[in-house]
Amino acid sequence: MKIFIDPPNSLVLFDLVERFGHEPLSTMAAIQERVDNLEVDMPPMNVTLDDVVKGLKYAGIEVPSGVRGRLALWGPLIEAADAAIVMEDCPYSFGCVGCERSNLMIKYLVHRRGIPTLTVKYPETDEDAVNFVAQAKEWMEGLK
Amino acid sequence: MSEERETRLYMISPRSMLTPDQLVRMVHAFGDKALVKETCYGCLVEAPRKENLAILAKVREEYPNEVFSKIRAYRCSDPRRCRAQHGTRPGFAQLEEEWALLSKIQYGLEQVEKGAKFKPGEDRKRLDVNAFKKICEVQ
Repeated sequence: MKIFIDPPNSLVLFDLVERFGHEPLSTMAAIQERVDNLEVDMPPMNVTLDDVVKGLKYAGIEVPSGVRGRLALWGPLIEAADAAIVMEDCPYSFGCVGCERSNLMIKYLVHRRGIPTLTVKYPETDEDAVNFVAQAKEWMEGLK
Repeated sequence: MSEERETRLYMISPRSMLTPDQLVRMVHAFGDKALVKETCYGCLVEAPRKENLAILAKVREEYPNEVFSKIRAYRCSDPRRCRAQHGTRPGFAQLEEEWALLSKIQYGLEQVEKGAKFKPGEDRKRLDVNAFKKICEVQ
């Protein structure tokens, strides 16, 4: 199954999803398409006109352009996903207008799609990590 | 995902005794036609997707819980990212943060292998009225 990961560029989530036999949908794959196929100077910092139009599907014209640019990458991934795994309170996933609003929009879009979703906290201790890995493994085995 | 080219990032958990040099030598020893680049956290491997998955399977066989991997959008040594060519490497702060987490994840994977199960946390209970009154009185 295709599993969308949030944060979409997380190494830990990408590795665990692959390890337990599913296909992770991540930012890296979306950016790779642009790196390989488009003559854009530095994706994802630079976007094409098509990206801006795609972003409008997920966020209104009045939201900051950074949110639309990010959603142009992540929106199609969420639409293609069969399930999602969301890690909350990641210390590297924060921000003010663009970043945080994009993170909230991801959670909203995943919720709106109604796909099976596992929401976990960022593990702070070894015991938390054991619980997190066990929960992720049981959940992903149940998806098959 | 592209089938033609896949660049994969391998990161070694800080709990592991494996070094990036050993990891690179091991990947070279597999004999696959892949571009391997040693980095401070592990290595980058660039090859067609099929070969890359075969390398990943072999690495997992040798070090199942110590080496973690994900794909990377840019090629190895891309001037827009490579520090050696004064690239910006904007994702490194996040990688550094996740590197610290890997030791915990490694421990988690080892314990799950030994049979650890998920234990749901206790639900938050409602505060007793008398206990709440006491808190109010203290303040």
